[in-house]
Amino acid sequence: MSAGEAVFSGWMEIADKTVRDGARRHAEEDALAALVSQYAATLYRVAYSVLRNSADAEDAVQEAFLRVLRHRDTLSEVRDQRVWLIRIVWNIVLDRKRRSKTRPETDDVSELARVLPAGGLSADERAAAAEHHAHVLACVEQLPDKERQVMMLSAFEELTSVEIAAVVGITESSVRSRLFRARNLMAELLNHARSLR
Amino acid sequence: MNPSVKNPIANGPGSSDFEETLRLLAHLPAPEGLEERVEAGLRAAPRNARILRWPVALRAENAWVRAAAAAAIVAVVAGGGWGVYLGVQTVQPARVIAVPQHIAAPGGGFSNAGAMRTPQTLNGPIAAPPAVAKPAAVAPPASTPAVKPVAKPVTTPAAQSSQKPLHPAKPTSAKKIAEPATLPAVAPTAVIPAK
Repeated sequence: MSAGEAVFSGWMEIADKTVRDGARRHAEEDALAALVSQYAATLYRVAYSVLRNSADAEDAVQEAFLRVLRHRDTLSEVRDQRVWLIRIVWNIVLDRKRRSKTRPETDDVSELARVLPAGGLSADERAAAAEHHAHVLACVEQLPDKERQVMMLSAFEELTSVEIAAVVGITESSVRSRLFRARNLMAELLNHARSLR
Repeated sequence: MNPSVKNPIANGPGSSDFEETLRLLAHLPAPEGLEERVEAGLRAAPRNARILRWPVALRAENAWVRAAAAAAIVAVVAGGGWGVYLGVQTVQPARVIAVPQHIAAPGGGFSNAGAMRTPQTLNGPIAAPPAVAKPAAVAPPASTPAVKPVAKPVTTPAAQSSQKPLHPAKPTSAKKIAEPATLPAVAPTAVIPAK
């Protein structure tokens, strides 16, 4: 092989590599866009259930997808992308809540009444329902962390107990036992509150 | 979906009113335009922010610059280490270790445990007790000497001290021999009365 051919073949290799990189980047961007359109709403709801603030929940979703963008090379190795994304945003919101050390906006009844669906209720009924929901959420905040996390995740119908266990990082039997304890604790808290009224 | 792994709270028989609240929160609709905002944020994010570019002089084409820089770093580190090594005076260990002379126990028993033997100091001159006049030497009648008394040399303390050896603990053989020879000779003369 002459020197000219070697140089030419070298240039050809560089060009092929550039083309391959560009194609791969396009494929990654398409995969990421598909993930955003498919799971952004789910991640938002998961984030909102913990943060109870619309802007904070949206920021958490944004941060979750930025983390995915940083690790887009390993995206093809992920077996269950939905659970993987929920776990990412779950860790983000727990970390944010731990750092903020502030109570979620559960006491803001008007905000809750605005967010929750009206369902054909009158204004008084909506206010009463919002107050009830705020009281329930305040009781949820009194639960221990482990039980509260499992209870909040179990409210999502699209998550099975196995997937909840994968998100939290425990076994499925632990999910069930924690949920059982959380229900009992919640019943006690609500009964205690009713007896005080 | 396997019914055994279904969500226990959503389909459980004991779901109560508080779970209804959580379910309402879990079914909140996402705000309008969430996907577009997220995608716009992803496009605006720097793709290669975590990759540091080498300076032009240190890129792969200029490998000799990297080699020179590495050699300079090695030289500086080695020189610094050599300077520190020269600056620190290491304490030389003693070449001779003084070990006390081993003195075996006299009876072959326990050792002296490393105790140094102190030489026995010399005793000074001992003052002799004052000489007591013996009855034999008091009054032998001069007229009738039955036996010619053996004249015991009268010794003065000074003379005794001069005759006494320096080491009284170890009497000389001459004294051991002389004393039995002199005393029996004096005693009979003192006991036998003169007639």
